[in-house]
Amino acid sequence: MMASSFEPTKEKIEKNEEDEESSGAGAGEEEDTGAQIAPIVKLQEVAVTTGEENEDCLLDLKAKLYRFDKDGNQWKERGVGTVKLLKHKETGKVRLVMRQNKTLKICANHLVLPTMTTQEHAGNEKSCVWHAADFADGELKDETFAIRFPSVENCKAFREKIEEIAESQGKKETEEGSAAAELIEKLSVASKDQETKPEVEKESTPAKVKENDAEEEAAVKKE
Amino acid sequence: MGPETAFGDALPNQQTVDYPSFKLVIVGDGGTGKTTFVKRHLTGEFEKKYEPTIGVEVHPLDFFTNCGKLRFYCWDTAGQEKFGGLRDGYYIHGQCAIIMFDVTARLTYKNVPTWHRDLCRVCENIPIVLCGNKVDVKNRQVKAKQVTFHRKKNLQYYEISAKSNYNFEKPFLYLARKLAGDANLHFVESPALAPPEVQIDLVAQQQHEQELMAAAAQPLPDDDDDAFDG
Repeated sequence: MMASSFEPTKEKIEKNEEDEESSGAGAGEEEDTGAQIAPIVKLQEVAVTTGEENEDCLLDLKAKLYRFDKDGNQWKERGVGTVKLLKHKETGKVRLVMRQNKTLKICANHLVLPTMTTQEHAGNEKSCVWHAADFADGELKDETFAIRFPSVENCKAFREKIEEIAESQGKKETEEGSAAAELIEKLSVASKDQETKPEVEKESTPAKVKENDAEEEAAVKKE
Repeated sequence: MGPETAFGDALPNQQTVDYPSFKLVIVGDGGTGKTTFVKRHLTGEFEKKYEPTIGVEVHPLDFFTNCGKLRFYCWDTAGQEKFGGLRDGYYIHGQCAIIMFDVTARLTYKNVPTWHRDLCRVCENIPIVLCGNKVDVKNRQVKAKQVTFHRKKNLQYYEISAKSNYNFEKPFLYLARKLAGDANLHFVESPALAPPEVQIDLVAQQQHEQELMAAAAQPLPDDDDDAFDG
């Protein structure tokens, strides 16, 4: 690797690229006083996908998230950042996604199911608790969460939104259940006729989702 | 297999990954917050209780950047072993390092040159970040202006707080930029994969509700703190 293509002294980190706090930090801290060292890897810029591209944001609030440590019988911090409720543009499913400030890592990622309810945290109107099968680490984990907002209003807004979504998801599920049953009938008719109507194929998605449900359920029960 | 073995790029009990990974050695006096800092990044938690690290603990820590996913194998070493010195095995094949001190304990800053010397004896020409931790504490013993060692030895310096998350991402960002030779490298949103469907049975749900009641009665660890930007 050519050392000449590497000019670290010219690096100037922009001051206002992130929110800067001023907890007694020295003024010169953003200057690079490090030695010039040849890089050891050559990396290419890659396309960034947030995974949220097909979703509409229903709510977006600053918050602090905690998870309950059953063994220690105590709450542990999970992250400080932005909690979002995202509704999928096609499936209509809503999930809660929270990312850590600065590193933008995911600290919560789970569906808002019809069964989801929040409860007030003892003696604190700015926070509430709930249970979820969380997928933040790429595997399903039963978690008990608490979230704290900067204001009582934001906590109220969050809880009301969750309640509203859980209710509508419940309704949706009942409707989809009957719709899926109808579709399965239609499909069996279509296959008998050896027809492949594109619109039927598209509509078959709910039935497929149901299949996955059964698989997931089996997987969860195995654990 | 003990840590004194030379591993090449492979690490003990760690699966290799198909994206760039780096061995990061974290040193500094005992109690300066090395383990707390690593844990903060791993799980988000802030551990107040001090339990000295014995030997070394290696934790893989991933970051998503505009140049793809990167992994630091964080070698969180025992600060208490400074009198005997750390075994060379901890340092060997180190590709970057963090030297940590505590701004509320002057002696931990005085010992920085010793840590630096030991590190550089094994690891030549690696990017090193000096971190002054606990800057959230009111009574500092080492003021920002008094920190000069990094200028003499060409290290990068950051004031950090594992407690408030102040600058907590900066050491990793700096090291990633140096290792890749890309001053514009930055963290990006990691892909939020679609969570799979789950069917909760009634028995489990009732159990969850009971657990929830018990949990709701427990206080949050930092109820007084109202910083939401950290």
